[in-house]
Amino acid sequence: MTSGEVSEQSERLLKQLSESGQRLIGYFYPHIPLELLMAHDFMPVLVWADSTVSGAYEGSLQTFACSFARNIFSQRVRDQLSVLSGFIFPGNTCDSLQNVGDIWRVRFPNDIFFRLTYPAGGAGRAAVKFLAEELRILSKGIELKLGTGFSREELRRSADFVGRFRWAVQFIYAARLINPDVVSYSELAKAVRGFLSVPSLDSLATAEALLSKVQKDMDAQGHTDSVEKLSASLLERKIETPITPEETDSPRIVVLGGMVEPTDIAQLMESTPGGSDSAIVFDMLSFGFKTVFTDPLSLDGDPFEEMARATLKAHLEPTQEGLQKRLDFLKGMLSNLSIDGVIVCEQSFCDPDQFEAPSLENSVTDSGIPALRLPMDPEMSDKSRLSLRVQSFLETLASG
Amino acid sequence: MSDEKPYRRLETQALLQQIAFRHGLEAMNASEEGNLAWVTSGFPVEIPFAMNVFPTYPEQAGAIIGAQKIGPEVCGYAEDMGYTQELCSYAMVSIGSTDRPDDVPMGSLPTPQALLACNNICGTVLKWYDGISQMTGAPVYLLDTPPLEGDQTPHHREYVRSGVERLVEFLSTTFQTSLEEERFREVSELSSKAIHLWTSALKECQKSPSPLNCADRFLTMAPVVSSRGTEHCVEFYEALLEEVQDRAKQGIGAVREEKVRLLWDNIPPWFALRFFNKLAAKGVVFPADTYTHAWSGAVEGTDTRSILDAIVDIYSNVYLNKGLDAKVDKMCQLIKDFDLDAFVMFSVRSCKRYSLGQYVSKEIVTERTGIPGVVIEGDMVDSRLFNEAQIETRIEALLEMVT
Repeated sequence: MTSGEVSEQSERLLKQLSESGQRLIGYFYPHIPLELLMAHDFMPVLVWADSTVSGAYEGSLQTFACSFARNIFSQRVRDQLSVLSGFIFPGNTCDSLQNVGDIWRVRFPNDIFFRLTYPAGGAGRAAVKFLAEELRILSKGIELKLGTGFSREELRRSADFVGRFRWAVQFIYAARLINPDVVSYSELAKAVRGFLSVPSLDSLATAEALLSKVQKDMDAQGHTDSVEKLSASLLERKIETPITPEETDSPRIVVLGGMVEPTDIAQLMESTPGGSDSAIVFDMLSFGFKTVFTDPLSLDGDPFEEMARATLKAHLEPTQEGLQKRLDFLKGMLSNLSIDGVIVCEQSFCDPDQFEAPSLENSVTDSGIPALRLPMDPEMSDKSRLSLRVQSFLETLASG
Repeated sequence: MSDEKPYRRLETQALLQQIAFRHGLEAMNASEEGNLAWVTSGFPVEIPFAMNVFPTYPEQAGAIIGAQKIGPEVCGYAEDMGYTQELCSYAMVSIGSTDRPDDVPMGSLPTPQALLACNNICGTVLKWYDGISQMTGAPVYLLDTPPLEGDQTPHHREYVRSGVERLVEFLSTTFQTSLEEERFREVSELSSKAIHLWTSALKECQKSPSPLNCADRFLTMAPVVSSRGTEHCVEFYEALLEEVQDRAKQGIGAVREEKVRLLWDNIPPWFALRFFNKLAAKGVVFPADTYTHAWSGAVEGTDTRSILDAIVDIYSNVYLNKGLDAKVDKMCQLIKDFDLDAFVMFSVRSCKRYSLGQYVSKEIVTERTGIPGVVIEGDMVDSRLFNEAQIETRIEALLEMVT
């Protein structure tokens, strides 16, 4: 299934849910506590870039706006997001999304608009307090503008619900590092996309069914303990112990990048001659690893502080924390996870991606591992060229 | 035919070279002594100055590279390192000139011991300084001032305040120094004086004819950016204000025959400042611009605590750290206060924070003020993106609407 078909399927599902009375709220930046939105009785819907959308932004945005921002803006112009009761824009994450949020408010004055501003720079306790207050303001705003208050009971339920999903996919991510053939990257990416698009009982069941299969296989292969330990290390962002992966036919590739669609990457790899998406043993993408490896929400303290703490502990985006933290993590990964090659994805006109790509590439090649830079846009408008580059990269890995 | 130029050169401008030369020497000495920090243009330099850490500005170096018309070449050095042409050209020439300093004699900066970034001007600064840190080994300190949605809230103030306090700790540890109240008060008073003098000079341009044009202000803003907090900065602006007031009193304009008064929005194309002089020949003057009016407040306080509070307030509220509404308000206010006929918005490919939203702002500003505007496209340093003929056509069309 192509990402366009996945989009269509999600759209249909969201329409059905909306018609059945389920209230939906959209967000664009993946590091958001889903539990908070669910505690207001909303289903949080991640708005993905739609590869089938062509430009409809020209009257409002210059062409040098990031291609992801242009894509979501075009979706709104084409009235594709009408099932959503409100939109949550991130603040202080990148200049494109910051300004597109402002433009959105002017162009679509009847939309219910919220801004959740994130701290940058890893200011520790002060950052947690700041984000906690931002979340509190968001919560009050939702109550005021959309009429449903914050429920602690719903928060408890959603913490369990979201926690189950995260635990399942964290296990699968770790299991694939040990044996990537246990389940394809495409299946994992689709399960994540399915849940983030429509976090329903059905999408949770899909992720948990995948988990059962993976657990069974890992158990049979005697890897359960190793997977659990590795999953915990990934959550703590410390990979210090080498693993011994199962032998496979494909090279072991990690995909790095930002708000790039994992299912598009999986599909690109599958459609490349000589490629197989099992070759992708791990991603460090915003809509993949970076989002799902978030701590479970603790219900012990102030809920807003706990949500802020969990959010900021996750593997963040380049504009939120310094480069060194991510390079250290990458180094641990390259040293201990038997990686053969790295693909660095760059969304066109995405400052964070493009600024970081040379440093990531250098860090990888300094470790003696080949790297491929892959500039792309959400529409995958140059797919044949991308495929050719991936093919050539795979050939390099095979000959090395 | 007269050889007289259509614009008047400021006498004070001659002092700029001395200040720039002095700043360069001081930066070199500071680097050799291990006390040099690179800072972003919206950074509260009063703190490093007071702690005897010398600040210098890559953006200013970028402007110099642009003015020398070597932007594309130096951007190319960064492109050779794997950075894409789509990125901020200030960052690109900074990275390029750091990699190949010998090839950029007038635009490379001495090696820093620390990199101090404040994201009140854009989110790019952290990534840019991360890149420089990789090349020089200097640590990065980010003073995070999240963009404001409206008025500054108590939790925002508290958060930025904690960042300012951590900055003092960072500088103390990195440079083995401390923040002494007397020196801090002295620096903040000097900074405040310079800003008052500068804003007074800008205000004189409300008069007609305007005593300053755009290019005058873009050049004379350099010391308030790089040297506020020093005696010589104050002396420069005293001289500038005197000359500007004198011009205003005598009815001497920056442009000999002022006919049309326009607003400029955004960073200028540093490689094409003569663009403003060409327009001067048609009687076009720019008495105001959003770029040099970014300084809206002065750092004033009686003790360390109150000065730090003022820093939190002022540096959080800079023009680029506010939303589109605030930008539109500022443009409308400038149009009213400076009695302007039209506005020109320079869409700078490099600067998303400044430029994205201009199409929308243009419509709103026209709706609110009743005057026309035009968006022209290009870049501040990379002249490859500047189509002069196309821009002239657009400006001509605008002028036809107002004359």
